[in-house]
This record gives sequence, C-alpha cells and structure tokens, in this order.
Amino acid sequence: MRTKCLQFLLATSFAAAPFAAAHAQATNSGEGSAKPVDAARIESADEAGADWLTYHGTYQSHHFSGLDQINTGNVKDLEVAWTHFPGRTTRGLQTMPLAADGVLYYSGSYSRLFALDGATGKVLWSYIPKLDEDLISRQTHSPYNRGIAIGDGRVYIGTVDGRLIAVDAKTGKPVWDTKLINSQKLTVGFTGAPLFVRGKVIIGAQGGEWPYRGPIFGVDAATGKQLWEFDVAGGTDEAKATWGNDSWRTGGGGGWMPGTYDAASNTVWWGTANPGPLYDWAGPEWKTKGPRPGDDLYTTSVIALDPDSGKLKFYHQELPHDAWDFDSAVGEMMMINRDGRDLVVHPNKSGFIFVYDRKDAGLANVWPIVENYNFVKSIDPKTGELIGRRDMTEGKQATPLCPAIDGGVSWNAGSYSPKTGLYYKIGNEWCIDIEIVKTTPIVEPQVQLNIGANFTLRPPPNGQIAGHLDARDPVTGQKKWEVRYAQPPLASVLATAGNLVFVPDATGILHAYNAEDGKELWSHNDGLGHVGGIIAYSAGGKEYVAVATGWGSLVGDDYDGAFGEPYKSMAKDAGAMIVFALKQ
Amino acid sequence: MRIAILLLWAWCVVIAPSPTRAEEPNGSAALFATTCGWCHSQGGRAPGKGPKLAGTERDDAFIVNRITHGKPGAMPAFGGTLTPEQITSLVGYIRSLPPE
Ligand code: HEC
Repeated sequence: MRTKCLQFLLATSFAAAPFAAAHAQATNSGEGSAKPVDAARIESADEAGADWLTYHGTYQSHHFSGLDQINTGNVKDLEVAWTHFPGRTTRGLQTMPLAADGVLYYSGSYSRLFALDGATGKVLWSYIPKLDEDLISRQTHSPYNRGIAIGDGRVYIGTVDGRLIAVDAKTGKPVWDTKLINSQKLTVGFTGAPLFVRGKVIIGAQGGEWPYRGPIFGVDAATGKQLWEFDVAGGTDEAKATWGNDSWRTGGGGGWMPGTYDAASNTVWWGTANPGPLYDWAGPEWKTKGPRPGDDLYTTSVIALDPDSGKLKFYHQELPHDAWDFDSAVGEMMMINRDGRDLVVHPNKSGFIFVYDRKDAGLANVWPIVENYNFVKSIDPKTGELIGRRDMTEGKQATPLCPAIDGGVSWNAGSYSPKTGLYYKIGNEWCIDIEIVKTTPIVEPQVQLNIGANFTLRPPPNGQIAGHLDARDPVTGQKKWEVRYAQPPLASVLATAGNLVFVPDATGILHAYNAEDGKELWSHNDGLGHVGGIIAYSAGGKEYVAVATGWGSLVGDDYDGAFGEPYKSMAKDAGAMIVFALKQ
Repeated sequence: MRIAILLLWAWCVVIAPSPTRAEEPNGSAALFATTCGWCHSQGGRAPGKGPKLAGTERDDAFIVNRITHGKPGAMPAFGGTLTPEQITSLVGYIRSLPPE
C-alpha cells in the first residue's frame, strides 16, 4: 500500500490540487508524504491537499476540500466504494473522520476508534476503550463521539467518562490515558473532538445545563499530563463578578465542540456553551434576580486562549446572560480575509452569524441566517448589543419562542469555498411553545439536567418547520441561493473545488449540488439519517467522499414527535461510514 | 392552578407524601421540569424525544423501573440521582396529568 501511495504522490498532490501552483509546499499535506503529521505539517496544510487533518479540515476551518476529481461534470458517476460498520452506534454516527496519507481515521459511539485503508476500507487497526457503562446509563448526552485529533504520531480521543486517550497512529496501541473530569460525580464527560496544537491537545467538556464549570483542558500530547484548565463559568475574577450569589460554582458552560488555532498569533479560538439552568424565571430583572443573576461570563462566548498557559487573551460574549440555550459552542471558526482584514466567522446557535476581527474579537458584523427569531428583536452589528431581549418570567409564554431549543443552526458545520467565496450553511426554522418553571436551585452535582421549563417543538407562527441550505457571503450575509427541506438537515456540509456542495440530509439522502447555483446534480439514499461529518480526501491518487451515516442525537430524537415517519421507525443504534468514489 | 390541585389530589390519594415534599407543594412538577421535561414535552403531556406520559397505561412498577434504570441510548437512569421518594412523587405527577 505504501509503495502504491508513493507512486501516486505527485499525481495526487498536484494533479488533484487546483491551487498547487500557488502553494508549492503543498506536498506537506500530500498523501504518501513521508513526513509525520506534526504541528508544522498541520499548520502548513492547505485545502488543496489530499488530507483532512483536523476536525474542521485545516486550521482555517473551512470544511472545504480542494480536490476536484469529483466535479459538477462527473458527479453523476459517484457510487459507493466501500462501507464500514463501527457497531454499537447508539444515537447515530456523529463523527467527523480525518484522513492522512491515504488512511481514514474515525470514531464511533462509545469512543470506538478505527484506522482504515482509505481506498478499500480495510481495517488497519481498531481501538475499543473500556468505558464506565454504569455511568453511561445515567448520562443524557451520551455515548456518541464527534471526532478525534491527530498529531505527532498519535490519535487523540475523548470519552464520555471523562478521559482523554492517545493511541499510536500506526498501531492503534494506547500511549496514554488521562482522567480529566470526575464524571462519576459530575455526570459530564467528553463528546467533542480534541484539537492538536504544537505538542498539546485541547479539549472542552460537555456541560451547558449541568451544575459544573465547563472546563477546557490543555494536555501535553507526548505524556498526557494536564497542563492547564480554563473554567468557562467564572474562570477569572472578572468573570466571577458576573454571577450573583456565587452561582458560577454550578454555572454550566463548557466548550463541547472543538474550536481552531490561529498559528500567526498563537491563539486558540473556542466557543462556549450556555449557562445552567437553561431557562430562568428572572425575566427583565436578570441582572439581579433568578438562579444566576448577571452576564454569566464566559458562557455563550467566543474566547481566545493562549495554548501554552490556558490564559484568556480576549473574548466576545455573544449572548450575555443567555436565557434561551443558544450556545456559542458550535466550534466553527472560519478564518477568512476580506479587504486585507483577517476575520473569523462564527455561527451562534440562535441563528445569528458573528463576524470578528481576528486580532481581538472586535465585531465586524452580525447577521441572521434564520427568518424566525424573537428571542431578540435584533443584534446590533457594530456593538453586538442584544436589542429588545426577550427575558421570560415564570409561567406559560403567550407566544412561541423562536428559534426552537434545537437551534437556528445546529452543532454540525457549514462549509466555505474560497473558490466561490460563498458560505454554505444550514439554517433551521422552528419554534417552541414554552412554560418557564421555577425550579429548586441545584447545588449538588450528579443531577442529570438543569432545564427549568416545559416545551414542545412547533412550526413558526407563519409557516412550516423547515431547514434551508443557504449560499451566502460569509461577511455580509448576502444570499445567492437556497435549497429548502421539510425537515432540517442536521449533518455537516462539504464544499469542494469540484464546485460541489454535499448535504447529508435527515431522511438519509446525500445530495450533491452545484456550488454556483444550488442545482441538484446527484443524490444517493444512505438508508439512515445523517447527524455527523463529511469530508473529501485522496488515497492512491483517487478522490473519495466519506460521510458518517446513522440517525439519533438529542435533536434528532425530537423528529419522532414532530414528524413521525420515517424517524419513528428509523434505527437509532446503527450507523456506518459510507465512502463514495467515481465509477471506474 | 388546576395542575396544583390535581397534584395535591395525587399526593393525598395515590401516594403518601413525605414530609419534605409536603413543605414543597409544587415539588414534583418542578423536578419534572428540571430533569424530565426536556424529553417529555409539555410537562409529559406531548411526545418529544420521549413518549407522551399523560394517560400512560403502564403500571407503577414499570414507571418506577423505567425512571430508576432508564433505557440505554434513550433515557438516562435516575436511580443514582433521585431518591425513592422523589421517584414516587414523579409517578404521582405523571398520574396527575389529564389523559386526553
Ligand atoms: C434524554 C431524554 C429523556 C429524559 C431526560 C427522560 N426521559 Fe423518560 N423516556 C425517554 C425515552 C426516549 C423513552 C422511551 C423509552 C422506550 O423506548 O421505551 C422514555 C420513557 C419513559 C417512561 C415510560 C413510558 C412508556 O409508556 O413506556 C416514563 C414513565 C418516563 N420516561 C419518565 C421519565 C421521567 C419521570 C423522567 C425524569 C426523571 C424522564 N423520563 C427523563 C427519554 C427521556
């Protein structure tokens, strides 16, 4: 295999790479490269390469592949090349696979880890950790796993019982196994992918609506030793002062999806979760009353950390005192440049997209991708001020709250194509009928959830529930085209240099659209809904598209009640990695 | 209000309220909204991630068992989190929901 890979080295790195001329060093990210996946290779990896080295593709986080063998002209000839079943796929396959040197790495529920020959699907090794199953039976956001990191010859994976594990990338043998959270006491663990940064692994805990402090950890990649912990809830004195009655002690937070790394300034960008309880009854008096009076820093924020010390460099709190469960934990931090200005584009769960200046998280713009929102009237695009906040008090709310708790955008990623300059992202139109309930304050851990409301998913006041794939300018939000779906797709989106946009939908159909106009060019029924990742990579000189298939998740579970079939009867304990290639 | 009355009725008739619960007249409804309502919509009156509970034909033993042990991949086990009294009070709450 290795020789075969080497034979194709040049062909792959250059022929399949439209930007090769502009990035002569692209061999760094080329399949068959003898160089190990280390910090230098990840930092110089560009999207023209054959690999997919981080959760978000590259540190630029575009979820874009520069491969163009599969393109608008031949996508009609796409077919299944191979399939792999990870087993025990409780709550669906939610992972984002990685690819390096023609090997596909991916994780399934229960942190089951596989390395497969990217061309054939042959198992190179597997690693199935032993987890605390008794704990898992008590957990809610469990036992799915959303992805892994790779670097310095190891693959890194978090577990729902609070560990971060490194295994040898060649053999699958465990190298170290570090317990970071006392999950037995605190319920939460890790489901999000770690981020590898210059000899360190960074991972954020689950925890929005749990009585804990939502820590993000920095760990030595070689030894597994914990280097630092940053607590999202009250992580600095400044932050503690924004939680009345010391409520930061059980404040929630967490950064349950991976962010990314800006190598130029040695800064990690990360999104944080909502505070707990989710809803509170303080209403307009939230600054002084209720279970967590104040802004609740650094929940529902985008934070910039020094990866060496874990110290906060700067931040922007997208929703001060988030009273709606509209986290900033969606880890998508798209690095783009516009008119000489380095920017970061970040979707908030509310359906508002925040555009930041990369040097200090100063706001460049804020725009909504959803039509239905009433938790605020608007957000000032210059200052970020929430205008006309809807702070609810105890009791049944007279009008529905929009978007629904399931999010104006969900946790999976959109995709940015440098080729078209468009951001392809799913927006969701749905609302909830809601009754705020005054709950007994929770001060002890191991209480499952801390919600504080009863609610039901419902259509927006003037229309149907829907999802839409939008093609927009990432900075201004200007829309070029959209495709609508009766049920919001929940999986990640992939744009490629073949001018394609792939959307794995909720019913199980994988769609390929023309990136310029949204015209559907190809589709395939994967047999189960999608709630995970999708990537393109190259192996043996050939382009492949890998999609995680398998329904479930705590948003997907709402589809039974809301839509009935096919979700009612859809397996929620099955899934597969399905890999496509062009017909020979 | 109607719920509160029904709840009181449920406690008096169906289960013997423990002293702590009696001091907290809306205890089980609040507990439900804290830990269960996220999946059992509208306070258990409508299907959501979990089924509608109002009017359930399951017997008490089944309900207690489901709350205690959960169901893998569907519902968490609450046996280690909630006290037997709290679980009993939740059964009372579910029974108090109008079946329509
Ligand atoms: C994470 C979502 C979730 C949470 C939280 C949750 N449930 Fe459930 N519950 C479910 C699901 C899903 C089922 C259906 C299980 C099955 O497939 O039989 C269920 C089933 C039940 C049943 C049995 C219904 C029947 O007729 O079979 C009862 C009773 C119940 N839940 C009560 C509760 C109570 C009380 C709480 C809070 C202490 C709670 N649930 C919390 C998801 C949840």
